[in-house]
Amino acid sequence: MPITSIVSGYLHLSGTLATAADTIAYAVAISILIVAFDYVFGWLERKTIAKIQKRHGPTYAGKYGILQNMADFVKLLSKEHVAPKRADGLLFLSTIPIMLALTIFLVFLLPLAPTLLETNLGFGLLVVFVLLSFMPLIIFANGFGSGNKFAAISAQRSVVMLLSYEIPLIFVIASVGALAGSYNLASVVNAQSQWWFALLMPIGFVVFFVAMLAELERPPFDIREADNELIAGWLTDVSAPYYVLALFLDYSRMFLGSLLIAILFFGGWSGPLLPPVVWLLIKVFVISFFIMVIRATMVRMRIDRLLRFGWTWLLPLSLINLILTYLVFIG
Amino acid sequence: MVTRINIGPVHPSTHGVLRLVADVDGDTVVNLEPHIGFLHRGVEKLVETRMYMQNPPYMEKLDYIAPMSYDDAYVATVEKAMGVEVKERAMWVRTVLLELQRIASHLLWLGTMANDVGQFFTVFMWAFTDRDMVMRLLEEASGARMFYVNMRIGGLIRDLPPGFGEKAGEVLAYIEKRIKKYENFLEKDPLFTERMKGIGVLSRERAIELGVTGPVLRGSGVGYDVRKNNAYYVYDKLNFRPQTRSDGDCFARYKVRMLEMAESIRLVREALAKMPEGDALGMPIKLILPSAKNRMVSLSRETPRGECLMYMVADSQKPYRLSIRAPTFINLAAMPEISRGCRTADIFAISGSLDLVMGDVDR
Repeated sequence: MPITSIVSGYLHLSGTLATAADTIAYAVAISILIVAFDYVFGWLERKTIAKIQKRHGPTYAGKYGILQNMADFVKLLSKEHVAPKRADGLLFLSTIPIMLALTIFLVFLLPLAPTLLETNLGFGLLVVFVLLSFMPLIIFANGFGSGNKFAAISAQRSVVMLLSYEIPLIFVIASVGALAGSYNLASVVNAQSQWWFALLMPIGFVVFFVAMLAELERPPFDIREADNELIAGWLTDVSAPYYVLALFLDYSRMFLGSLLIAILFFGGWSGPLLPPVVWLLIKVFVISFFIMVIRATMVRMRIDRLLRFGWTWLLPLSLINLILTYLVFIG
Repeated sequence: MVTRINIGPVHPSTHGVLRLVADVDGDTVVNLEPHIGFLHRGVEKLVETRMYMQNPPYMEKLDYIAPMSYDDAYVATVEKAMGVEVKERAMWVRTVLLELQRIASHLLWLGTMANDVGQFFTVFMWAFTDRDMVMRLLEEASGARMFYVNMRIGGLIRDLPPGFGEKAGEVLAYIEKRIKKYENFLEKDPLFTERMKGIGVLSRERAIELGVTGPVLRGSGVGYDVRKNNAYYVYDKLNFRPQTRSDGDCFARYKVRMLEMAESIRLVREALAKMPEGDALGMPIKLILPSAKNRMVSLSRETPRGECLMYMVADSQKPYRLSIRAPTFINLAAMPEISRGCRTADIFAISGSLDLVMGDVDR
């Protein structure tokens, strides 16, 4: 019995009902996985950055402070939620849950293992990136709707950032699709059974990685929520339970980004001995860890500089990558 | 469209309680206005009600990043008013302590500066840890970690402890290595140099006209340093020169402070080597005679932030009036001018490079 139909098999269902039951079970499993990752990484980031900065990080709650995040969540949940008077209620309150749902849905679309292909869309790669590019727009809506000037500046920066990295990102995806011969994510992974795409097109990988950092709001591109300038950017007025969601969102997006990098450039689930899912998670962990170390060492870029960087470096490089990929591997 | 944004007084990078009202057109700053006074404690008035040597603790809380320099400036003013000569060894010890204080102060500035341009606390924590080593030295010399109250009329509360020279040598060697590391870490990062170079340019002429002092003035290419131009204690017997940079931008001010730290390390080493034996103890507080020889005195000192000038009208037991020219207050006045036309994100780089301490600005 395949792993994806355990639930329907157990309940002796068939037909549409079986598919529905399996899909729901898979979605729940994915959500649990993401929450677990968020929790572990929230702790690991605190500890790692503390180590780099010669601090201890959390130590009191639980062994090695592992329960510190739990304590923080409980504290935040017990606080009063305050929505500013000038905020647009619907926009302000609905956007963060929508973004979190969207992130989980995107992970749902990605192949985690050859046996875990719940939704194997023929054009999955395109769907993922179309949905992903909605994120900055939703952030724009939130920042604009919160009625705070810092959040409004952050919202405008969000759109400017979108202009700077989205087009190079699309070009790299086009070359990934061309190299794999398909926009199906499972085919992309299978095409890397011999050589990882990171080795076949290093330029494309670098462009994609930089664009992903910008997409994930990780330093040096955390321009939207630059805490030294904009207090917390679009999250300035977000309080208590919504701030918990925002924290989860932050790490969920990091999980999604690392997952995309692992799938598109590091051969996804492929690897010897260990089960495929384990391999994928190891890759995701290594990439996330790398992103984390970047946070502790880089200085934030300025918004106008990012725009210049995007158009004078990322865009030409992504075009060169596309042409080279075509000439070397296809033409 | 010009939007007015209100930055501070509660904001992660306004260094205490500075409030900046910025008019921005898109991302460009059209006008910037600092609002001060949130930390005004009326110290200048307060000291009039207290005996001379009851006041150093109040003075130290003005500039809480470099308390020793204010302690010294005030006590030296009182000494001048009473016509007391400072003991030979005490002058050397004071020089050593003041330069150590300068290193500690600049290390803290380095951390906050890096934070202001968006370095996520790494340099801050490193510099803070290193600053703690210098503070431990000062603690050994004075008995207190942060607010030393170490100066007495004519000398110090106690001489340097035995073995201070060796310990200071070790710490200074370590700090020297660390400074090189910071320079390496920051200056090799193109993002950092980009955020600093050409930002907040203050020309030589305007710097003189605005009356800025300290590293801000020397960053604009003026080699004015009270320690050199109007030497006090033993600075004229020591071999050093004020560090200047001619660009006048944030990077120049950063570089001046980094070089000053290295220069201070050299100064401390030289002073410790040349220090004469003798007595460094000052007058016990209760033995101060009720007599001030000079009615009006003024005295200037090079604190880590610039020139601090104390003007005192002396009474027999208390200061009749004390007026302080706070260096950061004058330096802050240059901020609206140099941040006009910069990007919103640069406001914080500029305010960081001015090294503001709001306790000193508001007094």
